[in-house]
Amino acid sequence: MKLTIFDLIGPNCVTYTDGLKVYDLIHPELQRGRAVELDFTNVRVIVSLFLNAAIGRLMQDVPTGELNRLLTISNLPPGGFETLKRVIENSDDFYHHPQVREALDRILAEHAAEV
Amino acid sequence: MIHRDSGKDYPAPVKLALRAGINYCQPQMVKMASSNKSMVRIFIPTISEGPASYNKLFALWHQVKGVGRRFLFDFSQCAFLAQNGVAFIGGLIRTIEQRGGEVALDWGTLRSEIKMNLAQNGFLSVFQGGMGPWEGNSIPYRQDSELNKDGLVEYLADRWLGRDWVHLSDGLRYALAARVCEIYVNAFEHSDSRVGVFSCGQHYPRLRMVRLTAVDFGVGIPCNVRGFARNQSIHASSAMKWAFQRGTTTRPGSSGGGVGLDLLKELVRLNGGALQVFSHEGYAVLLSQSERYEERNKNFEGTMVTISLRCDQKHYRLTSERDDKPLF
Repeated sequence: MKLTIFDLIGPNCVTYTDGLKVYDLIHPELQRGRAVELDFTNVRVIVSLFLNAAIGRLMQDVPTGELNRLLTISNLPPGGFETLKRVIENSDDFYHHPQVREALDRILAEHAAEV
Repeated sequence: MIHRDSGKDYPAPVKLALRAGINYCQPQMVKMASSNKSMVRIFIPTISEGPASYNKLFALWHQVKGVGRRFLFDFSQCAFLAQNGVAFIGGLIRTIEQRGGEVALDWGTLRSEIKMNLAQNGFLSVFQGGMGPWEGNSIPYRQDSELNKDGLVEYLADRWLGRDWVHLSDGLRYALAARVCEIYVNAFEHSDSRVGVFSCGQHYPRLRMVRLTAVDFGVGIPCNVRGFARNQSIHASSAMKWAFQRGTTTRPGSSGGGVGLDLLKELVRLNGGALQVFSHEGYAVLLSQSERYEERNKNFEGTMVTISLRCDQKHYRLTSERDDKPLF
């Protein structure tokens, strides 16, 4: 399956809701073990919220090995790859390393305890 | 990663002369000849950049919150109105209207140079009609009652970053627009602002700075973080600090978040600019060498973000970024 993001979303991939549109299309394909290509040709802007929904959520139940094997992402605009890498790192922490999130949450708990 | 090409070093930015402890003008009751109804006259003060000016803006918010429902905004004591003031006052008017109140603007009290600037940035055309905005040193006044992503990208990438005040490659320009878009999206998703988001920017040639301010009148970052943590005793400064860490989000069930500001922070650091965020009683400021999170006594119910970039001769671009490592 090849998905042209410009055709589906337009030049500006900004919102979480837009990201979910992509997720809803590709998640079943990946779960069936089918290859997916996301082509970002003509996309100008990608916001991390969009990528969190479209790609970050995949890490909840699609093994990383399968994602590396099946999912191809091409023609990202400048800055897009860096954002994508950070989204993937965050999602990895969120789904597979809860101690990272717990450490962040401890900042809040510690400061509240001082009151 | 942002790369800064060689260029001339730029001297330290000129500080605007600000005075603490200014006496805020007290509101006065006035009777309007045309309507024969009493209005509260609110004196708009001089607003530039810096904590004292933000305090004055937040004092305005308290004035209109506390007294009456019909206001006359008087500019006779305003000698300068920076972009933060324009965005804030626009939002304040819409907030009062949203609560069922009324605001009249006493245009006759405006100094000619301020009136010209308000015409140039489009504020006048929104509230009075007539001409504007046009290109000059202004980044137009903008009201977003709902998220218009294409309009917003055009505003940020073309009207602000596309004016060549800061020399950015096209790629970096859109990449930065994406990061700042995230501030707006967060405002719409998390702030519960009933009037939306208000923006205005200004290029200051003598200071060699370009500034953009966005403000909402919503629940604010500290409140969102406290709600998320189910702990109302969290300090505003701690909540702000937490919210600015990579990987934090208050969106329930989200697969991580909070990655959007990194590139913006990186540019601010390289460029020697500043990122300031006021949110209720919380304050965060990011400078080239430091980050600070503070509690503030003067506050308002909302979040106000100001991004300041120095207009230097350097050229900023993204370095090549794709590698051959597996993505996941």
